[in-house]
Amino acid sequence: MEVTQSIRANNIVKEFGKGDTLVRVIDDASFTVNKGELVALVAPSGAGKTTLLMMIGCVLEPTSGEIWLGREKVYDDRWLTNNSRQIRREKIGFIFQAHYLIPFLNVIENITLVPQTNKVPEAEANAHAMSLLKYFDIEDKAYNKPSQLSGGQNQRVAIARALANKPEIILADEPTAALDTQRSVSVLKMLKKIATEQNVAIIMVTHDDEMLPYCDRIMKIENKKVVFE
Amino acid sequence: MINLAQKDISHTLGKFIVTAMGVGMLLGIVLIMIGVYRGMMVDAEMLLNDINVDLWVVQEDTLGPFAEASKVHEDLKDTLKSIEGIHASEALTFQNLQLYGQKLPVRVTAVGFDPFGKISPVDPSNLISGRMIAKDHYEAVISSETGFVLHDKITIGRNIYTIVGTTKGTVSSGGELLIYISLKDAQELQFSYSNASIRNDRARGALANTDIHMVNTIVATIKPGYNVEEIAQDIRKWKHLSVYTNEEQTTILTKNLVERAAKQIGLFTAILVVVSTIIIGLIIYTMTLEKMKEISIMKLIGIPDSIIIKMVVQETVLLGFFAFIFGNIFSHLIYEKFPKTVVLQAPDALGLFAVILVSSIVASFVGVGKVIHADPTVAIGG
Repeated sequence: MEVTQSIRANNIVKEFGKGDTLVRVIDDASFTVNKGELVALVAPSGAGKTTLLMMIGCVLEPTSGEIWLGREKVYDDRWLTNNSRQIRREKIGFIFQAHYLIPFLNVIENITLVPQTNKVPEAEANAHAMSLLKYFDIEDKAYNKPSQLSGGQNQRVAIARALANKPEIILADEPTAALDTQRSVSVLKMLKKIATEQNVAIIMVTHDDEMLPYCDRIMKIENKKVVFE
Repeated sequence: MINLAQKDISHTLGKFIVTAMGVGMLLGIVLIMIGVYRGMMVDAEMLLNDINVDLWVVQEDTLGPFAEASKVHEDLKDTLKSIEGIHASEALTFQNLQLYGQKLPVRVTAVGFDPFGKISPVDPSNLISGRMIAKDHYEAVISSETGFVLHDKITIGRNIYTIVGTTKGTVSSGGELLIYISLKDAQELQFSYSNASIRNDRARGALANTDIHMVNTIVATIKPGYNVEEIAQDIRKWKHLSVYTNEEQTTILTKNLVERAAKQIGLFTAILVVVSTIIIGLIIYTMTLEKMKEISIMKLIGIPDSIIIKMVVQETVLLGFFAFIFGNIFSHLIYEKFPKTVVLQAPDALGLFAVILVSSIVASFVGVGKVIHADPTVAIGG
């Protein structure tokens, strides 16, 4: 595997149910995403975008195939690790359609939760979180609860949380769906900047064609297969 | 590391406090139940301790005077005095009465004793106002908890008594408040019949029993250097009486009289503890359900189960702890309102704390089960 490849999927198949109710959602999907690349994942609703994202994120087990994250092969017809959560915690950052922050933690605690779980010293985790908040221009909200922030601010905190563990990969599931066009473009530029500056591979699910020009490549699911435009 | 339990509790502090107070009231009732049991044991021994004698002489083959009825002749006290080793002996009577004059009738046990004798059933330290009985008739000393005060007049039987003293915390073995009257008054009250009743008996051809010189028990103290059990055995052998040492009388009261009631309370207490555990379990289950979204998010971003489980267990233990604190406050606020003695003891509270701690951890298993089986894809609606 080449060093520049951050995500590599070979012949991924995902089926739900069995017997008469068996449904194949992803069929023989193979693709790679390089470091520093922002890739859009586009498909109609129910085509399996989130399923694909969750398989790459080691949340959902594929039926068969191979998944490489960086230099590590994590799936080969079965999980090759007993601790997929550790892989998520150390290698992957997640951004969702809604911010999904923990409501009983303040902004900085939300951001430092994963790093602190990774045994990063509290002072170091806080300093990194503050630098991220400054980067997103919300450092004055560090000690506010999510309920005290606007939707856009919360989404920026969610992105900061995804970056807090210095991930190799960011999986974003419609991160701009809840934002207006101006905010969406701002978030897209931010993600592109992160991908470039921090050499992170980003796969972003989107329904919004206006966001596609900001992406390096466009990945589609057509007839259960993954294809690049 | 961030303490998730502390953060979650402080986020919903009001709800947590109200929940802990609710469970606390339940635990308070558990503490009160234990206190009622302790109170029964204390009550059972209180009068014995106040009388503080070595021997209880009662009617043959009875467990008198408290556990069974007993009737012996008053002059037996003089006979006992002649036995070597006996220091003093006095006659006592015990009779349940209902007094009127307060808003509600008051149940009391009347203790009849010789006010000029060597053995008094009144511990002077319990006398909080007035004086002891100084006349053979129509004076009484009464538990202040009855509501009667000094110089009040009370009608008992055919006579009117004046309250000359009040005591605090004096109860019979059954927990009834006490009224102390002279032996002569007590004998008349317990053993004399009305004129009409005597006439009735005569008309029926029955020989009216007009001997009122009966008592329920003779109590005695022993001179130093004499063996209590040997003297008791001597009286049993020659006088055809039952004789109990103070320890035996205590055993009769605590084992025979109180044991069944204590078992009943013990069972009730155990059920309450089980119910409390179930309620704590249900509360934690509900609290965990309310956090399923957050738990799923945490699992999704890679937080290990151990940290999430720690949060649930810590919250459960904290709920148990605060409920225990509230329970203690609640029980201490209300225990004096109970009509019978309730004794709250620190060792009982600590024992309950240990039980609640274990119960809380057991109860948290339902929440832990939900955490382990939580699906991280729920967080994103997958």
